[in-house]
Amino acid sequence: MIFFFENNEIHAIAGQTVGSALLENNVRVLRRTRFEGAPRGMFCGIGVCFDCVVTINGVANQRACLVEVEEGMRVEGFQR
Amino acid sequence: MITVVGAGPAGLAAALSAANAGESVELIESGARLGGQYWRNLPNSIVVDQQALNHDFQSGKVLREKVQAHPNITVLLNTQVWRASHEEGISILHTISGGTTREIRTNKLILATGAYDRTLPFPGWDIPGVMTPGGVQALLKGNNVKAGKKIVIAGTGPFLLPVATGLAKYGVDVVGLFEANRLRRWIWQLPALLNNISAIKEGASYLHTLRKFKVRVQRGYAVVEAHSGSDGNLSAVTVARVKSDFSVIEGSQRKVVCDVAAIGWGFTADLSLAGNLGLMQQVSLLDGGTYVVVDEHQGTSQAGIFAAGEITGIGGSKLSLAEGEIAGSAAAGSETNTSKKRKLAKFASALLRTYPVGPNWQSWLKPETTICRCEEVTLEIIEKSVLDLGATDSRTVKLFTRCGMGMCQGRICGRSVNDVVARISGKPASDADRVSSAARPIASPILLGELAQIPIVD
Amino acid sequence: MKQPDAIVIGAGVVGSACALGLAKAGLKVVVLDRGPVSGGTTGAGEGNILVSDKEPGPELTLAIRSRNAWFEIADEIGAGFELEAKGGIVVARTQVGATALSHLAKRQQRAGVQAHELDRSALHQLEPYLDPSIDFGFHYPADAQCQPMLSAAQMLKALRSMGGEVITGAAVRAIHTKDSAISQVVTEKEKYSTEIVINATGTWAGEIAQMAGSYLPIAPRRGFILVSAPAPNLIRHKVYDADYVANVASDSTDLQSSAVVEGTKSGTILIGASRERVGFKSDFDVSILRILARQAISLFPILASVQLMRAYRGFRPFAPDHLPVIGEDGKIKGLWHAAGHEGAGIGLAPATAEIIVGQVLAREVFMDASPFSPRRFIQESAP
Repeated sequence: MIFFFENNEIHAIAGQTVGSALLENNVRVLRRTRFEGAPRGMFCGIGVCFDCVVTINGVANQRACLVEVEEGMRVEGFQR
Repeated sequence: MITVVGAGPAGLAAALSAANAGESVELIESGARLGGQYWRNLPNSIVVDQQALNHDFQSGKVLREKVQAHPNITVLLNTQVWRASHEEGISILHTISGGTTREIRTNKLILATGAYDRTLPFPGWDIPGVMTPGGVQALLKGNNVKAGKKIVIAGTGPFLLPVATGLAKYGVDVVGLFEANRLRRWIWQLPALLNNISAIKEGASYLHTLRKFKVRVQRGYAVVEAHSGSDGNLSAVTVARVKSDFSVIEGSQRKVVCDVAAIGWGFTADLSLAGNLGLMQQVSLLDGGTYVVVDEHQGTSQAGIFAAGEITGIGGSKLSLAEGEIAGSAAAGSETNTSKKRKLAKFASALLRTYPVGPNWQSWLKPETTICRCEEVTLEIIEKSVLDLGATDSRTVKLFTRCGMGMCQGRICGRSVNDVVARISGKPASDADRVSSAARPIASPILLGELAQIPIVD
Repeated sequence: MKQPDAIVIGAGVVGSACALGLAKAGLKVVVLDRGPVSGGTTGAGEGNILVSDKEPGPELTLAIRSRNAWFEIADEIGAGFELEAKGGIVVARTQVGATALSHLAKRQQRAGVQAHELDRSALHQLEPYLDPSIDFGFHYPADAQCQPMLSAAQMLKALRSMGGEVITGAAVRAIHTKDSAISQVVTEKEKYSTEIVINATGTWAGEIAQMAGSYLPIAPRRGFILVSAPAPNLIRHKVYDADYVANVASDSTDLQSSAVVEGTKSGTILIGASRERVGFKSDFDVSILRILARQAISLFPILASVQLMRAYRGFRPFAPDHLPVIGEDGKIKGLWHAAGHEGAGIGLAPATAEIIVGQVLAREVFMDASPFSPRRFIQESAP
């Protein structure tokens, strides 16, 4: 299936998490921090650290490591 | 009716033993599949021979299938308990599942919420590519995704071995496996370790497999700094020889090129719900972690609430299974047999003594090192809050600096902040301070819109 | 035995402001607290420095002076406590509410408060995510915000630099009097000989009064604050419904709530202001969270898709007549109370300190502080 990260098409397999699908497509930097603008990616990988939080279909602070990919999903990591 | 929270080894065993005793059981799991972190498994859409790649996959599969097929057990997947409370023998669990909230009231609750990798802050640990062994494992076992191409595994504890082995089997280049503790600790604990021969055999089989892939465990080494490349991602780590207190042996530092470094220092129990429910907790002298206090039959300080698995002390899957079984039976009012648990607990204690975390990990820190990842609080800011503003404990440091106030609610930094503040202030962290750093009135985030729609119950 | 000129009990924001004021006047001050700095109600505060929520009268006079005093303190001690004049917006959603709000605002204006009436477009210019149906409100540019815990800590830091002492983890065990005047304060570790004690223990001020042989009817009024996950730039002011003012003055013991919603510098959104009289009960019911969430969403519908991350509670100290208690005790000479500010202690701290310092030194004070005098409780205490 296909979803979008920062408007780029990403191919994924159903059942994979957003974070794992992005990693498989070599996307490691998922967001930038709100104070320093530092890049962050997956860290704990199991929903504990909230470092991989992205905006999914308009809802902010979703854990990429937990949310499973859905067709056409729009994922954004960088706050505007 | 018995309610079980968490479907890892302890929760599955608890549900099954309670159901076998004739009780009806509701098993609540936040994830999409049964098994927890230990028996993490792929969705049906991905077909891989999981048994060949994961040790102990089969026993998990058998247990999951038994639970799923049991007529007395109702399984609620993708269901998060975001808040719990306890009053007069009744536990109230507030759950959210796919946008729908529900309130579950139960007079018999078994908590089996497990643990996650313990991490230590060090310079560069916030660079994308630095991960935890559990995270790398979850990508592999739960998503069939390799976290990187050249992976360093480091930290301490027996868990590093299966992670490295799994990666190697999947064809990942494990460029280094660094265990901070030395072999002599293992020998010191040998008599107690012999309580669990099968675990020792398991460890030996990992070492054997790793040798085939030319991966060697380098003991007495730690990753003390991470470096990023021009793209902002991890490019290398600095590895150093460390003494038993974890201070660096000068001149031993060298760089290892890698794109992922999976670093873990044992485990931290997830006590969010235990805290909501007011369960008595205490700091373990074995590993300094905070755990739920339980009696021989897994009973907690609150009537009708039992706890099993890692939240009662880190002990691995076998001990979790034994504790889960006892908790399930005890909750159902049946006889329990605690002899197996006692033997496994001895082994678990010996393991914790074999893989301690030396206090001088703090010497790796620089003033600008991030301690709280969520709120981007550095060591320097914490130092100022103590030395300049007169903070005397972690809670006050949190109020002054925001460390631990972010989205993870101190799950990652809480324990380290306790240690850092204790060092700076020269005053050891009290048990109350350690327990309070895991207090999370909202155990998991919930949308305000979902919260607003909870029906009024009178 | 140590012999400070004055002992301040309570290292919260009120105690810190009083201690700093006394030290500036040349007194040798020791601050005692049984816990850490900002460990009580200060540590659970939002940092409100409001003039918008006060009816004209002595409390508003206090609030107006205090608001300006905060900015003077920031200049003096070099800030470091996130003081920000973010401004408040009060909205009304019904005709009745609008009339009451207009009336209040006009009276506040006469008392010297800046308040600008806002129509729909002005409101939505200031707060773009406000519910589009809201079409009437007032802007109070003087409403401000600070980080309360840091405010206390920075004032105490300034105090130490002036030779004052701050001793945390030191519970007061006894307060001795001689001929109905303060003579000695005893902690676990130390005895202090002094003639002046400032009771700035907020919700617990009644206990200290009792220890000294007097009486203060101060009780806790519990409040919850919800903290959202980071959602920067959604909400720019302190925004609340006109009902809030009515709740502050309410005598009801039931749960009352009227959400005060505000964005913070750190990106989180605070939703505050439930009020209940349930003693020091710390466990909470989800229904409180739900009510606050509903009210916040009714002001800002976009909040429905923002996550709740954290919730915390505090115990506001309140007196039966809802006025702060500032001044010398009616029975014990040398015992001065600075407590009972309910939800406004952060905002009112500096002016409270000015009254205390003025009265202690028998100097003129900026206002007639007799309405705040603890003497008003003397009759009540008679057995």
